[in-house]
Amino acid sequence: MIGLAMDCVLALGIVFLAVQTVRSRSLFQAMLMFIVFGLLMSLSWARLHAPDLALAEAAIGAGITGALLLVTWRRLQAEGHDPVESEQSAPSMWLTLPTAGAASLLVVIIGWVALQLPAVPGTAGELAWQRLEEVGVSNPVTGVLLGFRAYDTLLEMAVLLAAWLGARAVATEFRPGALPGPAHAEVPLVGALLSLVVPISILVAVYLLQAGGSAPGGAFQGGAVLAAGGVLLCLTGRLEAAADTSGLERLGLILGLSVFSLVGLLVMAGGGPMLALPGAWAIYLVETALLVSIALTLVLLFAAAPGLRRAS
Amino acid sequence: MNPSALIYLLTAAIVFGIGLHGLLQSRQILRQLLCINLMGGGIFLLLITLGGGADGPPDPVPQAMVLTGIVIAVSATAFALALLLRWHELGDSTELDAVANADANTHDE
Repeated sequence: MIGLAMDCVLALGIVFLAVQTVRSRSLFQAMLMFIVFGLLMSLSWARLHAPDLALAEAAIGAGITGALLLVTWRRLQAEGHDPVESEQSAPSMWLTLPTAGAASLLVVIIGWVALQLPAVPGTAGELAWQRLEEVGVSNPVTGVLLGFRAYDTLLEMAVLLAAWLGARAVATEFRPGALPGPAHAEVPLVGALLSLVVPISILVAVYLLQAGGSAPGGAFQGGAVLAAGGVLLCLTGRLEAAADTSGLERLGLILGLSVFSLVGLLVMAGGGPMLALPGAWAIYLVETALLVSIALTLVLLFAAAPGLRRAS
Repeated sequence: MNPSALIYLLTAAIVFGIGLHGLLQSRQILRQLLCINLMGGGIFLLLITLGGGADGPPDPVPQAMVLTGIVIAVSATAFALALLLRWHELGDSTELDAVANADANTHDE
């Protein structure tokens, strides 16, 4: 009963925040509403027995996406974008009413169809549960990601790399001031805070990676937590934008994709099906490489710079 | 279907609808991005609720797919934000139609 009440509150909160994201006059406020929306979504994943998703949504959906949105906002302002101009002028009723009508119609259709869907026996998920032992990990989501649907995960890394390459391709010239200036870098407490938070983010990332085999966690959640540490270093001016990508950074960016492909191909050379990871050690090896690549790509996307170096 | 799955199913449909409505009526690129992400959130919620496995363990396949989806969504958003910055650099606008007009004007001159 309490669970049901909580579901109701969560659902109302999610709908309210979604409405606010669309309706807030101020764009900044809309972004904040969206970030909180992500946090409530993360709670609802926990309610829906998807703790892996709850972690991913909190770290990636709300955390990294929020940081990306806010830093873009800040950059737009630094380039002389007038925040007052970005206040949404109320759209005309002739636009609002038909789109609201069409959207509500779609809601009814989606809801109706979803309610009619029969429960299918013998889904891929049941098969995954039955054959989970063959993969070598006991967390079913990690098993599916790296055991049964490894292609998805490999190509997901390719998408992440492509996003970074694309972002580099459209940002033509290098701007040294690409990162917002370190506003509080000289406050002594910042150093103390960083020396505490950054090691913890590394520790949590490695824990999530290690736990991912048997409990909620994995390379994606861990990578996002590690990236959060990197974002913090950028924000406090400990890391600076560099004019080009160093060799080490290039290696880090492609590490996940290349280790995954290499292990997958070696398996094929040994006579097995491609990408069928042989046991838990291979899964942890691939996940470690994925974690490094994910974290580095996300930090570089946040910094919107070719590379990063230690601030002098 | 148990009542809590029903609640999340309806929430998913409503969030998708709100996102679509916002996408159609908004002209600022940044807000359109937020709306696309809302629509994505609705779809993720729908997938997980339908794969909830009312009796028995939850289905890991939709969970893995949504996890992939979350990472793809952040990748696409990051790329779109880079495009937005470039767009603003070129046309000094964060809306889609204004720059097209500015381009037309420069061609006229």
